[in-house]
Amino acid sequence: MSNFDLVVIGSGPGGEVGAIKAAQLGLKVALVEKAEHLGGTCLNWGCIPTKALLHAAKTWEKLQHVEELGFSIGKPSYDWKRILERKEKIVDQQRKGLRFLMKKNNITVFEGHGRLESKTQVSITDKAGKVTKIDSKYILLATGSRVRELPFARSNGKNILNSDHVLSIDHIPESLAVIGGGVVGTEFASLFGRMGSQVTIIELGPQILPTEDSECVKELEKTLKKQNITIETGSKLTGLADDGKTVKVSVEGKADRSFAKVLLSIGREAVTDDIGLAKVGLSTERGGFLKVDADYRTSVPNIFAIGDIIPTPALAHTASAEAYHAAEVIAGHKAPAINYSANPSAIYCYPEIASIGISEDKAKADKLDYKVAKFPFAPMAKAKIEDATLGFVKIVFEPKYKEILGVHIVGATATEMIAEFALGKVLETTVDEIGHTIHPHPTISETVMEAAHVASGGAIHM
Amino acid sequence: MAQMIEVLLPQMGEGVHEATVTNWLVAEGQKVEKDKPLFEVSTDKVDTEIPAPASGYLSRIVVPVGSTAQVNQCLAYIAADATQATVPLLVEDETPREQLSAPISPDSAMSDEEDDHTASGGFARSSPLVRKIAKDRGINLEQVKGSGLHGRITKKDILDFEGQAPSLTPKPVSAPLVTAAAPSAQALTPVEPTRLKLNVQDGQELLEGVPVRRETMSRMRQLIADHMIDSVRTSPHVTTVFEMDLHRITTIREKYKDQFFKQEGFKLTLTHFFIHAAVQAIKQHPIVNVSVDGQDILWKKDINVGCAVALDNGLIVPVIKQAGDLSLLGIARRMNDLVVRARSKKLKPEDVQGGTFSITNPGGWGSITSNPIINQPQVAILGIGAAVKRPVVVDDMIAIRPMMYMSLTFDHRVIDGEGGAKYLATLKQIIESYDELPT
Repeated sequence: MSNFDLVVIGSGPGGEVGAIKAAQLGLKVALVEKAEHLGGTCLNWGCIPTKALLHAAKTWEKLQHVEELGFSIGKPSYDWKRILERKEKIVDQQRKGLRFLMKKNNITVFEGHGRLESKTQVSITDKAGKVTKIDSKYILLATGSRVRELPFARSNGKNILNSDHVLSIDHIPESLAVIGGGVVGTEFASLFGRMGSQVTIIELGPQILPTEDSECVKELEKTLKKQNITIETGSKLTGLADDGKTVKVSVEGKADRSFAKVLLSIGREAVTDDIGLAKVGLSTERGGFLKVDADYRTSVPNIFAIGDIIPTPALAHTASAEAYHAAEVIAGHKAPAINYSANPSAIYCYPEIASIGISEDKAKADKLDYKVAKFPFAPMAKAKIEDATLGFVKIVFEPKYKEILGVHIVGATATEMIAEFALGKVLETTVDEIGHTIHPHPTISETVMEAAHVASGGAIHM
Repeated sequence: MAQMIEVLLPQMGEGVHEATVTNWLVAEGQKVEKDKPLFEVSTDKVDTEIPAPASGYLSRIVVPVGSTAQVNQCLAYIAADATQATVPLLVEDETPREQLSAPISPDSAMSDEEDDHTASGGFARSSPLVRKIAKDRGINLEQVKGSGLHGRITKKDILDFEGQAPSLTPKPVSAPLVTAAAPSAQALTPVEPTRLKLNVQDGQELLEGVPVRRETMSRMRQLIADHMIDSVRTSPHVTTVFEMDLHRITTIREKYKDQFFKQEGFKLTLTHFFIHAAVQAIKQHPIVNVSVDGQDILWKKDINVGCAVALDNGLIVPVIKQAGDLSLLGIARRMNDLVVRARSKKLKPEDVQGGTFSITNPGGWGSITSNPIINQPQVAILGIGAAVKRPVVVDDMIAIRPMMYMSLTFDHRVIDGEGGAKYLATLKQIIESYDELPT
């Protein structure tokens, strides 16, 4: 049978990057994907389609205010079907791009369900049930995650939806209950709220976006309320009943309510149950995660695992970085360990939230010696020009050496601006260097420099 | 295949980098329980038991008794179940070794040599944060090995370096007696162990014709030996002796001892009074609470009293920290806790660090006075003799009183005869004028 240096199971943002990097380093690589298309959750049901729809919502919202910019376009309207088509087109272009990259890098793509057969063999079962076995010196497990369901309230694809279903919803529902105010739930709430739904977020914890800095979340909530969104924190869902027309939503301590649709967004779970781990003596820990060392090696020395199946942040860019590292190690190179304190997070509501490192809440709870420097978007000329005055940059830093502990940005361009701090954190830049870096004028990124000035003694433009 | 858990030598305190394994409490193949003692180690500070990091079976001991290991070094493996317990190392691997070696492409852009760039050649890649820390703490970055991309020195690297570098954190001068790093002793050349001339006859070693049995000293014994020699070489020792009348404190102790035992669960002893009095006297004569650093005297802002505790195989000097702030009850409680833990090998390295003054009590064995050796880098040690009833003259009459000799052995570099005598005079005055349980 075919012999490979590396077989990658899963073609998401982890597996795809690992396969390409390993091929670039001279390995003979195979990539196994069980879904119809390459790209995993990120491209097919996650980052890319949701951001395409969120862009539509952002554009729709801007259209409501074009009069203020001097335009007269009459009453704007939208065709949801065409918005979905554009999303599909973008996703499809990216899928084609991935196919091209596989070809370009001489990566053999196997379509089917990949399972470990031994430490050096992977079987692929295609849709027709035909089994192909391939041998490989190394195996990279990048099988990702799937939507998690509640045992007492499962999605049915009709009126109770999960995040996979909701991407192809054929109309904007009159009302929508979002169960779980994490990143996925909050982004969809922001999408449907702006497109016209009456949205209620039902969150068990004390805050939506629980891992984000509470000050940023409070700032976002002000805008969410204006986008037809009601936020109910500390609310425990006790039951869902779909009568075919509406869904009855039961929340502890509240009267039952009916919603046209319900979105379940309570999290994701690792896909490790049917990939043949037992055949090689691997077992999962709590949460279905695999245990790996700093090079992503499992306890079987030639089998590596990355992304959503190991207990690191379940983010596309994290999986990509881990796969890149694993590929370098597999190819015999040394790679510096990934610094997870320099792992950014990005949330695409409006305004966006992006962050890196620890929140002020965490610094306080851990009794760290820290200070906070904050600068708002509002005084910046470019923010006014772009009609993006909402938001701020907040830097949490250690006062002695001015090490950047965490950065939290809320505002229109937050997700683009956080990259500067990702580099800063990796290079262990202090706030002083950020303040001494010339930022282009006029840009919203000048708020970053001003926030650094605040940390070093005082802002210039306030 | 079950996963193996590594048993690592834990970090046991600031400045402790290595330890000698002195005993495995569980044999290979036997069951281990998480948090139950697994092995004993001897560091240059304390002997202590280390608990197992996980439950399972002791699969393989990597570091045998008598070997020295570094902090975080793997000492043994614990397997989850008994069948794994005999597996020699890690997991069995069917993959042939050569298959596992990575196929490195010849035309790959990056070679390991390039990647292995370190600070050699006088240029060390670092970061603004690392440079600030280096400048602030006087660290030469060329000595730091970088773990980042192309050998870049990261914050972690410099902090790790600082934790290890002998030039930055002087390794304490050893011995369980020792407390903090001893700058004065640091300058000394290492003591050459005395070597004797022996003859061998029919396999029997003879020293000047006398047959001997050879036994290697325990690590603690060796460390005590080294430390004693260091101390004698460092400090000119002088001893002065005072006699004290204990009738007041024995009366107070008699009055309160039952109530005290009922309340605290351990005995109130005269030693508790002596420590309390010694601390009060230090407050009046802080010169006994200093260290000598070259031409400088270092006045200690805390009074931390080390009290020698005899063990089966040597002695250890746990430290009552901040004793100046404690009542007699506080001292008694702290002392009792330290003695109990010293005898059960539960002391932590920090329990024997930071002493500023020491007390030794050979009176318990009947010694009436002694010439103890100063616990470097301190400058004085109080010796407590046996309390003995003697006929003494009180108000021109002969009375029977519990009497005791107390000695102060001090470093003549900084304390003269007058200073030593004045300290003991104050101590005598305090001891002889207690009229209630001091609070």
